[in-house]
Amino acid sequence: MNDSTFVLTAFAAIGLGTPIVFATLGEIITERAGVLNLGVQGMMLVGAVTGFWATFRTGNLLLGVVVAMLAGAALSAIHAFSSITLRVSQIVSGIALALFGTGLANFIGRTGTPALVGQPSRETFEPLLTGGIANWPIVGPLIFGHDTLVYVSWLVVAVASYYLFHTKAGLTLRAVGEDPASADAAGVEVTRVRYIHVMVGGALAGLGGAYFSLALVPSWQDDPIGAAGWIAIALVILASWRPWRALFAAYLFGAAGRLNFTFQTLGVSVPANLLAMIPFILAIVAMIVLTSGKRARLLGAPAALGIPYSREQR
Amino acid sequence: MFEAPAGNQATLALDLRGIDKAFYGVKANDSVDFDLRWGEVHALLGENGAGKSTLCSVLAGLYRPDAGTFNYDGEPVAFRSPKDALAAGIGMVYQHFRLVPNLTVAENLALGHPGVGMRISQRALVRAANELGARYGLPVDPLARVWQLSVGEQQRVEILKLLYRDARILILDEPTAVLTPQESAGLFDTMRLMASEGKSVIFVSHKLREVKQVSDRVTVLRDGRRVGDVVTADAELRDLARMMVGRDLELPSRGEVAPPGEPVLTVRDLRVDGDRGIEAVRGVSFDVHHGEILGIAGVSGNGQRELAYGIVGLRRPSGGTVVLDGEDLTRAGVRERSRRGIAYVPQSRLGMGLAPGLTTDDNLALKSFRDPPFCRGPLLSVGAFREQAAELIERYDIRGVRPGLPIRLLSGGNLQKALIAREVSQHHLVLIARSPTRGLDVGATQAVRKLLLAERAAGTGVLLISEDLDELLALADRMLVLYEGAVVGEVTAEEATAERLGLLMAGHRDEVGA
Amino acid sequence: MRVGRWHVEPRGLASTRVTLLVPLLSVFSALVVGALFLALTGNNPWNVYTKMIDAAFGSSRSVSETLVSATPLILTGVAAAIAFKMLVWNIGGEGQLLMGAIFAAGAGIALGDGTPAIVALPAVVLAGAVGGALWASISAVPRVLLGTNEIITTLMLNFIALNLMNYLVLGSFSPWRDPNATQFPQGRPIPAAGRLPEFFHRLDWGIFIAVAVAIVAWFLVGKTRWGFEVRVVGDSADTARYAGITVPRKIMSVFLLSGAAAGLAGALLVAGVLGKMDPRSLDLGLGFTGIIVAALARLNPLAVVPVGVLMGALNNSGPALQSIQVPSATVTMLQGAILIFAVAGEFFIANRVRRRPPAIPTATVQEDAA
Repeated sequence: MNDSTFVLTAFAAIGLGTPIVFATLGEIITERAGVLNLGVQGMMLVGAVTGFWATFRTGNLLLGVVVAMLAGAALSAIHAFSSITLRVSQIVSGIALALFGTGLANFIGRTGTPALVGQPSRETFEPLLTGGIANWPIVGPLIFGHDTLVYVSWLVVAVASYYLFHTKAGLTLRAVGEDPASADAAGVEVTRVRYIHVMVGGALAGLGGAYFSLALVPSWQDDPIGAAGWIAIALVILASWRPWRALFAAYLFGAAGRLNFTFQTLGVSVPANLLAMIPFILAIVAMIVLTSGKRARLLGAPAALGIPYSREQR
Repeated sequence: MFEAPAGNQATLALDLRGIDKAFYGVKANDSVDFDLRWGEVHALLGENGAGKSTLCSVLAGLYRPDAGTFNYDGEPVAFRSPKDALAAGIGMVYQHFRLVPNLTVAENLALGHPGVGMRISQRALVRAANELGARYGLPVDPLARVWQLSVGEQQRVEILKLLYRDARILILDEPTAVLTPQESAGLFDTMRLMASEGKSVIFVSHKLREVKQVSDRVTVLRDGRRVGDVVTADAELRDLARMMVGRDLELPSRGEVAPPGEPVLTVRDLRVDGDRGIEAVRGVSFDVHHGEILGIAGVSGNGQRELAYGIVGLRRPSGGTVVLDGEDLTRAGVRERSRRGIAYVPQSRLGMGLAPGLTTDDNLALKSFRDPPFCRGPLLSVGAFREQAAELIERYDIRGVRPGLPIRLLSGGNLQKALIAREVSQHHLVLIARSPTRGLDVGATQAVRKLLLAERAAGTGVLLISEDLDELLALADRMLVLYEGAVVGEVTAEEATAERLGLLMAGHRDEVGA
Repeated sequence: MRVGRWHVEPRGLASTRVTLLVPLLSVFSALVVGALFLALTGNNPWNVYTKMIDAAFGSSRSVSETLVSATPLILTGVAAAIAFKMLVWNIGGEGQLLMGAIFAAGAGIALGDGTPAIVALPAVVLAGAVGGALWASISAVPRVLLGTNEIITTLMLNFIALNLMNYLVLGSFSPWRDPNATQFPQGRPIPAAGRLPEFFHRLDWGIFIAVAVAIVAWFLVGKTRWGFEVRVVGDSADTARYAGITVPRKIMSVFLLSGAAAGLAGALLVAGVLGKMDPRSLDLGLGFTGIIVAALARLNPLAVVPVGVLMGALNNSGPALQSIQVPSATVTMLQGAILIFAVAGEFFIANRVRRRPPAIPTATVQEDAA
């Protein structure tokens, strides 16, 4: 039962989807503050490489995770400064950081002796439970068979959802993203709220990147995360900026990434390159169908997304 | 939550001396003194641009003064942000509301409120909103989303927000601009109630009648300076006007009502949809004649914008006809209508009338650029742009223009002059103007009114859509009142009074004949 | 406005000196940051930078290679510049370039060896432009008809194009694949008649086409009625609508032109140095680098040319770094840093920053800007 294609695919979907969950969630938080961060790919990559490096040097997984999150936050701080304080184009600033982060990650990976490239992971996240309930049919592997970070991701989603809709800080965040002028007049420190949430978003992206390098791949390579960061940006919109929907959207894409394998085991031969296109085609179709025209208003994009705020703007 | 303020009646609620505040090197407040007693309704009077809003923004912590002392309840204070001011008990209701449209009333009340705990209790917020609303005569549905509320209801939410924060000083910036005369009266009752409890209300306005009606004292600002501080009961309207304006200035007005010429614009049974697909103009019919100013009065949001759009061609009418000088233009686009003779001065100067980042030359050419000499084939002739601009700048006295400068840096008055200049310098039969003097100072208002009257004298049919009753009463030969997308009454200049128009604007159809 | 202890006030109009100085400073700052990272990882920044300059301009061969690298960047830079100026966020230059390559190679291969150069060469080049425009239209049409955000769609299309190209050469035996390459999959060379003649080492006529496109773009935007309308739309769509400009049509045409320019870049690569559609040599991030070029050139198509040459120089020097044990990723890092500083530099072009508050002249009160 647990060897069935369905279970294997679902399990892999969760595994492959988890880094995207973190990244998407991070971007949701950033965008809810009204800041568009297109640099997620760069933040994930620096998180991946620094996390790998830290664990490689010290053998400590927790340290690797922390370093990855700090790296992601640091990179996003640059974006925050450009977007919030300097108020320049958020789109171009984000792309700049994606490019810089990519270059930086490659640089770190290939620098020093020995270079990280090709090095096998010193420690990886393993499933927490291996026997007992982890072997129950279906629920076993799918609910109980995961490693720590997967459970962390579930927790983060739940916390994020509660935070957004049931706490005062979450209300403040939403207000800042919808109408910063009104929030400012109500006494909210718009700048501070935006900085904090952009950096939290960056940290989560870094964490997502670290999941790749610390749980999913056996060694460090030049291109460990594929297009995960870019996909996360699309998923934010498809999830209507809501954490729980992001979770399921990410798993859906995780499954899509796994399709190659799945088809093979089912005996269907579809070229890998064409299968690889599917997540992107899905994203485009969903964008067009779900977000166009009148529907866009109902789907809840924060009204001030991408627009810099200045109190004394005349 | 509703205890009487701790302030001693003997100390001044506010005592400001020598306040300076400048923007881009220009002083909006110049050495202003201002004092406020507890339990009074104090009016801040002045024309647009006199510095009232700036002073209030300083009071509310939005701006920091460049110089001067600021004492609150006897103690010096320096607010670093609106948060500080609110915490101290000073709050402001702005002309453009600071409510988050997609959140509910309750959520807007909770926003930024230090008393609200980490967890939000919907029930407690709803209860507080209902209690406050009942007590102060400001009923509103706490669970409605703000964008669903009418303008008057939104204003109530703004006031409730401040009351929920135990504000002791409330600043209301031109609150009656968006209300009917009847709603304004209700607001004045609320203000007097708050004052009787020991709170203080600063009522910002440029409307003399209202200031006389509701305030205890008046401070008058002009050109950034304080020119007077009087007890309302002791002051005559004329004195206040003179202080406000600096001279016994008569704003240009219509004079004799003109006998109407031939109809030049005929609108029959016009229907236009609003932004959300609901009908905003519901079967409106009227004629504009040569050489007359036809006013369209009404509280904002009753279809004025869609009416303008439907006539100008920015939105396809869903029913009815628009006929200009005998030609049916109902199916025509903006360009066609403009060519045939419809000129339009939109309310949004920098959002629709003018392109903010382009130069004045470019903006002045926006209607003419397609034809020679501005354009030879596909090529642009920059020299022709420059020539036209130079001529219009001279003729209409547009100031502040420098080569290469984006037009948005011009002052409001000059922007409006540029806009009108462009529109009327082209061939046109009809001029539609929406809120043309909104936000302009006295000098600019004078100039714009003169331009409109000149158009009238030249035989143009002018459709003046405005929320400013004084402007309509001064300029229009006759008026229609728009309420919820339909014309609920027609009033000639002789019959027009603020009361009658007010009733119509609030939806009470003409009882005195039709 | 105050940011901490600094006073910030908007400039009305930046002087030429400022608009030139800021991009130069951006490049300089990026080099400083790069030097920092290099030093931190045990490299000598001076050595690295001099090696880069040498690799880019040190010999006539280097110069030609730099110009070869610059050719596609000028085109993708123009593509980004004209789109961004209209606030059309076409970040799909990558995919449009690849599609251009696919179409160009396809045209060359389809025409076959017998076709004379006078037909084959224009066909190949034009096919590339068409391919890029078509790919862009997949995002343009939903944007214009339904208001669909083009950032995501153009972005996703990059990856689809990449996978398509890989599929055609690496993943299948399509006509794009060289039937004679037995060792590992390669793109099929296009007939010689479809190739651009070289004239200076490896540099071919493509560079002239690229520069010509930049000049034409500059002319179109700045000197024609069409360009004027485009600029109005880019500034304020509502004002444009009121001026009778058909906004959707403008957006569409700019989007398509942008795609065509990027597609042309791909075509010139296929017809020029590569001679075939080679996935490894095409998957270089040229579209994204084009965004860097456009931003540094401040969206001015003429300025794109020298900036494109600069980026070409950077790209060209990458491989040389490996010979001194420095990761070629240094180049990507530098380019990203340049973009960051270029974008941040916009702030200093738009605003004047002072320590002390501005002097207050005795002027009359500013009227309310409505």
